[in-house]
Amino acid sequence: MYGLSIFWDYRVILWHGLLINLLVFLLSSCLGLIVGLLACICRLSSLRPVRTLAACYIEVIRSAPELVLLFWIYSVVPVLLSDLLRTHLSFDPIVSATLALGLVSSGYFAETFRAGIQAVPAGHVEAAQALGMTGAAILRRIVLPQAVRLMLPELMSQNIGLLKTTTLVSVITVPDIMYQINLIVQQEMRPLPLYTGTAVAFFVLILILTSLVGRVGLRGA
Amino acid sequence: MSFWTRTLLADAGPLLHGLYVTLSISLIAFVVAATVGLGICVARSRLPVLTPLFAVYIAFCRNTPIFIQLLWVAYAWYELLGWPKEVYTAAWVALALQSSGYLAETFRAGIDSVPGGQIEAAHALGITPLTTWRRIIAPQMLLTIAPSLMNQLIVIIKCSTLVSVIAVPDLMFQALRLTGIWGDPVPIMSFVAVIFIAVIMALSALSKSLADHTRARLGS
Repeated sequence: MYGLSIFWDYRVILWHGLLINLLVFLLSSCLGLIVGLLACICRLSSLRPVRTLAACYIEVIRSAPELVLLFWIYSVVPVLLSDLLRTHLSFDPIVSATLALGLVSSGYFAETFRAGIQAVPAGHVEAAQALGMTGAAILRRIVLPQAVRLMLPELMSQNIGLLKTTTLVSVITVPDIMYQINLIVQQEMRPLPLYTGTAVAFFVLILILTSLVGRVGLRGA
Repeated sequence: MSFWTRTLLADAGPLLHGLYVTLSISLIAFVVAATVGLGICVARSRLPVLTPLFAVYIAFCRNTPIFIQLLWVAYAWYELLGWPKEVYTAAWVALALQSSGYLAETFRAGIDSVPGGQIEAAHALGITPLTTWRRIIAPQMLLTIAPSLMNQLIVIIKCSTLVSVIAVPDLMFQALRLTGIWGDPVPIMSFVAVIFIAVIMALSALSKSLADHTRARLGS
């Protein structure tokens, strides 16, 4: 088709760009899951200050627009850290992007974890306690198997959302796929086939992933 | 000059204007998205022939990253259709495009939540379809979907920060511009981040109380 051969001409750098997207996605997803789990544990803690602090963190991080956090971590955090440590620090943009997207998703992950754990009926836990099971055994054998099944579909769709959000990182000069596409647009001056092709490619990719997740979700229910 | 004197004296104007642009683009996009979403939802139930077409439209809006949609509308549409001519228009069109897909599904869920028996009862009583819609379906549907609508407005405001990339002078754009002018990102970026977080937190608190109110009203 006319115009689309341009993608073939630039396949190498486009492929590299896509790999950067996947790298940022994997790193920030891991970070988000770890921080989200910690936030969720603190949120459910029996100590009131810990609980309040975690609730505040989750609320603030969920209210921050992704792009604002991206720019804030990219431009503000290195300056603050440099002042603090009295050295000159600079981060690779990929590190900033991973931190920002990881923190953004941690807020959503924490809420999903909490919803999953709280959806396990209290009676199950009480019954296990009555049977003399230890706290760790209750968590491992009663709560987690049910909770994980409940949160899996939601976690998957949030991860797909995160993959969509990784297209933003080009604004802080991470050489991802959109960065490369924008460079090619400037070089070739042909936005129509390039942006249309990218939109359709992402549409198909995300649609496939969404339907895969839908199938897992049905099986879990 | 300290940050606060500078902000109050020199930058208050651009920042306030930026906030105005952010909110106005978000609101226009929300109203357009709600209208288009409702239109699709009604058309889909009236014209079953077009169902696959609408399904593709909704899937496209929901599954394409907003950043790509924004650049696509701003640069590819212009080359193809000669419209939208201004970045401001492109900004709200792209935001509305994405949300219309989500809102079409929201409206459908809202209409489905009204029991079919009520519509049949209205029909049996000789109430016209328009009156049925206006007096029976719409009030119950709006009550159910009000929290989802608010949530979508919040999503639009969050995504609206992206329009700074196509040079729409929103709050984010002003923050980046002022960072460039004064060469100090720390205060201005933090200040703007706080404004965004405050606006969105206020809206989610409103949305939450709206949801509680709805739940109390519906008694579930």
